[in-house]
Amino acid sequence: MATRIQFENSCDVGVFSKLTNAYCLVAIGGSESFYSAFEAELADVIPVVKTSIGGTRIIGRLCAGNKNGLLLPHTTTDQELQHLRNSLPDQVVVQRIDERLSALGNCIACNDHVALTHTDLDKETEEVIADVLGVEIFRQTIAGNILVGSNCTFSNRGGLVHPYTSIQELDELSTLLQVPLVAGTVNRGSEVIAAGMIVNDWTAFCGADTTATELSVIESVFKLREAQPSAIVDEMRKSLIDTYV
Amino acid sequence: MRLEKCWFCSSTIYPGHGIQFVRNDAKIFRFCRSKCHKNFKMKRNPRKVKWTKAYRRLHGKDVTQDSTFKFERKHNRPERYDRNVTENTLKAIKKIDKVRVAREARHHAMRMKGTKAIEQREAVKELEQSIHMIKAPKALQPKPSLPLPKIKVKVSQPQAKDNMQK
Repeated sequence: MATRIQFENSCDVGVFSKLTNAYCLVAIGGSESFYSAFEAELADVIPVVKTSIGGTRIIGRLCAGNKNGLLLPHTTTDQELQHLRNSLPDQVVVQRIDERLSALGNCIACNDHVALTHTDLDKETEEVIADVLGVEIFRQTIAGNILVGSNCTFSNRGGLVHPYTSIQELDELSTLLQVPLVAGTVNRGSEVIAAGMIVNDWTAFCGADTTATELSVIESVFKLREAQPSAIVDEMRKSLIDTYV
Repeated sequence: MRLEKCWFCSSTIYPGHGIQFVRNDAKIFRFCRSKCHKNFKMKRNPRKVKWTKAYRRLHGKDVTQDSTFKFERKHNRPERYDRNVTENTLKAIKKIDKVRVAREARHHAMRMKGTKAIEQREAVKELEQSIHMIKAPKALQPKPSLPLPKIKVKVSQPQAKDNMQK
């Protein structure tokens, strides 16, 4: 079920939060209505952890994680690292990595089985990712953009990518990731998908600017609706997704 | 807050001190004071600058490998907070410090061993050769004006001892 929320009047909720199947991280400093939106959906299922990374609030773009682990940049302070380790369940491995590209959320897009990474990532970092997150790694670009973490989000059930992705690329990525992918937008036409929304296997949160059409696309591709009249969805899909070749 | 090490001299940088330089390849250089920063800007290699820890370690002046050093490494995978572990760690820190200081002192003593004998020999030689710097050569010669030549006579001590016993 997809929900629309705002962080301090900003629709880029993917910047201030991170959602996985095992935990949810949110930035400190927002209003209580932001937290209550998360806690209403998630509180009894997974831990919702308030944190900062390196003293900043842009935690969604700095860290990368799935249900197996969480990767943090070298700017994370020791206290924040310890706080995350104490708040997250023991199955989640918390690791800080020394990497030149420190905005891991922009460089790594992952679900529980597969990860797409920035082409210029270090070899050692790639090994650490494979070890901590337990994923298979593919170095890819999306629509010619190397920041794969910001241009696509995918969960174990589906994925949404940059609207300018060609059909061939879409098919290629779909076979790599083994999930159905759709090229679409979020937050009234914003191409930066991962900044505009966060998703896991059963919920999604989008910015408040997201139109109803975008929301229905999200709900269908990530399979968030339990029972869906497929005819309506198919019809909608034809009118929504143009081909960019 | 984290106490970092100076890139040049390896001393600890306390909060409020020093400068951090971030190079274009995103490598961070931290300096404890302008001395180290200026040396870095002059492109000096710390391994060749005598007063840095890098030089001292490289040239064997300070302890190089020790098991106490591995406690100070930056750890990237934390463990869950456990009160007992924290308490034991705090106690251990004090002990490890003591051990480390003792080992460094021992290393220094080993390095300086044997210098006393050398210094002694050098002092004796200097006394022989350079005494002319202190006393004029004529003053060292026996004085001819004295009426009688000086003769050394051995005096037996036991009488004095017998007196003391009484």
